[in-house]
Amino acid sequence: MTLLTVENLHTHFVSRSLDNEIRVARALNGVGFSLERGRILGLVGETGAGKSLTALSIMGLLKPPARIVEGRIDFEGRDLAAMPPDELNRLRGDRLALIVQNPRASLDPLARIGEQLARVHRAHRKADVATAHRRAVEMLAAVGLPDPERRARSWPHELSGGMAQRVLIAMALINEPQLVIADEPTTGLDVTVQAQILDLIQGMVRARGLGAIVITHDLGVVAHYCDDIAVMYAGSIVEQGATRDVLADPRHPYTINLVDSTPERLKIGSGRVFGGAPPNLFALPEGCHYRLRCPRATGACAAPPPWVAGVGGRLTRCHHLEPR
Amino acid sequence: MTLSRFLLRRLVFSVPVVIGVLFFTFALVRIGGQDPVALLAGPTATVQEIELVRRELGLDQPFFVQFAIYAQKVLSFDLGKSWLSNKPVLGELLDRLPVTFELMFWGILLGALVGIPVGLHAAFRVDRAFDQISRFVSLLGFSIPTYWLGLVMLFVFFFLLEWAPPGMGRISLIVTPPPRITGSYLIDGLLTANWEAAHSALSQLVLPVICVAIVASAPIIKQTRAMAIEVLGRDYVRLARAAGLPERAVRGIVWRNALVPVATFIGTEITGLVGTASLIEYVFAWGGMGQYGLHAITSGDFAVVQGYVLFLALFSVLVFVIVDVLGFLLEPRAGGGS
Repeated sequence: MTLLTVENLHTHFVSRSLDNEIRVARALNGVGFSLERGRILGLVGETGAGKSLTALSIMGLLKPPARIVEGRIDFEGRDLAAMPPDELNRLRGDRLALIVQNPRASLDPLARIGEQLARVHRAHRKADVATAHRRAVEMLAAVGLPDPERRARSWPHELSGGMAQRVLIAMALINEPQLVIADEPTTGLDVTVQAQILDLIQGMVRARGLGAIVITHDLGVVAHYCDDIAVMYAGSIVEQGATRDVLADPRHPYTINLVDSTPERLKIGSGRVFGGAPPNLFALPEGCHYRLRCPRATGACAAPPPWVAGVGGRLTRCHHLEPR
Repeated sequence: MTLSRFLLRRLVFSVPVVIGVLFFTFALVRIGGQDPVALLAGPTATVQEIELVRRELGLDQPFFVQFAIYAQKVLSFDLGKSWLSNKPVLGELLDRLPVTFELMFWGILLGALVGIPVGLHAAFRVDRAFDQISRFVSLLGFSIPTYWLGLVMLFVFFFLLEWAPPGMGRISLIVTPPPRITGSYLIDGLLTANWEAAHSALSQLVLPVICVAIVASAPIIKQTRAMAIEVLGRDYVRLARAAGLPERAVRGIVWRNALVPVATFIGTEITGLVGTASLIEYVFAWGGMGQYGLHAITSGDFAVVQGYVLFLALFSVLVFVIVDVLGFLLEPRAGGGS
């Protein structure tokens, strides 16, 4: 069952330059995907591709000068993009939740862990302090923190990065959301802890039948934990499909490049990596945004590329592909 | 770490500071250039008489011997005598301490009670009208000379509008002061149910307290605003928003986190305000420690100047200890936790 459908999402940064010209950075250019319940979608791409911005747009956490100028975000039958801020604020932390990076910096240093969890619970549920606290301890136990009663009384500075990330996961899940977005949830954690955290997120999503979006740079993470993958470049999705299919046989030149540039592939020496700077969002090339870096670019690429269907519902946005 | 241990540590660490302060005030007056002996002996004294006085006072001793004598006297609570009034300096200062304290306390309290909410309010609407106005007002508060502010307030509220009593001390001349309990006429009047005295003391307090409050609040507004804006950008505030906490709760998190640095700032501000307050005391003929000290400086009353500076320094040390204890209580990372 479809939980979230994003259609043609455009998010722009509109600002004025010093000589009072209006400048538009087109950060998201028609992002579209859908997410089924119980599935994990990996959102990958280079820095500045718009992964986090997609998450913020869905959550309604954009700050001026960024704003959604076009598009629909259909979540449980309602359009988040057109929802009044107050109403959306009631959904945040309740029906949809965010897990962020920098877990230790993301906890209020002046409140005990249990109090912070209870705070989020009570913001969305009519619960008295004692009930909310019990619920907080329950959640701390559910994310695998030993001695949750004692942990609930800890201060954030007493936690390790991995523990703090578990606390954030507990906080995200305390109101049983339907959609969880994890924005680089393991950046800055030890490798062994990374795996534990991702196992935890995956386990929670499977057990509760949630939909999840995991934003990452790490194709390894996507390969292990995500059912589907969407590859972003310059604010658009260029290729999406089942993780297994896309990583085994990338079709879009950018995806091919991305997969070839993973350390494992570089070691084997397969493929060639085409570098190049991320595109200027103030002046994106017409047509295919990747054409200035693309080894296969031709004159045809100046027109907007079509979606080309592949095996197993795979979609790739390129002029040079035949449908399979 | 428990509070008592923390306090003990903090006090032990204050000891070298106090010794340094003692030495510095002593040296400061010594290198002042004026020869106290010549002043004391008078214009008609002969060279022999001056030498006699010098020996009597021990001023012929080497510098460090003099300092040792001074330190020993201070430790036995003897700050010497004022050459003007011939009274012990310690008693004179202790008499005036609550007088100055009363003015400072209400002034800084009022300044903080206005400055902190204004600064927070401005931070929540950066660059909007309220923020612009509060920035302008706080800039005014920074730049207005204190004594001028006092004089203008007297001119407007006493002379023109007749809302306030004249700036002639802490209680009206026709009201009998209440017996001394705390040294504050307002509180002593209230304690002894002497409503007339309390009322008079209160009305005398209004203008100078507002003066101190204006001077105190300007930097508090600026500092609170800057701290709150910084906290607003922190990850935990962004996560609070992402978790759908209502705006009120988010602001609660912001102000509690901005409070610790603001409290520390106010502590450092208090020590600077003592100097400002002495000018305000002068304008309103307040008769506190500040006015006394200023007078001693202009008339070369060495023992008083030394005692006054020592008092100010010890006061600063005390304020910093209090600020640190407050920080310890408010800040879980320091080991306390609210």
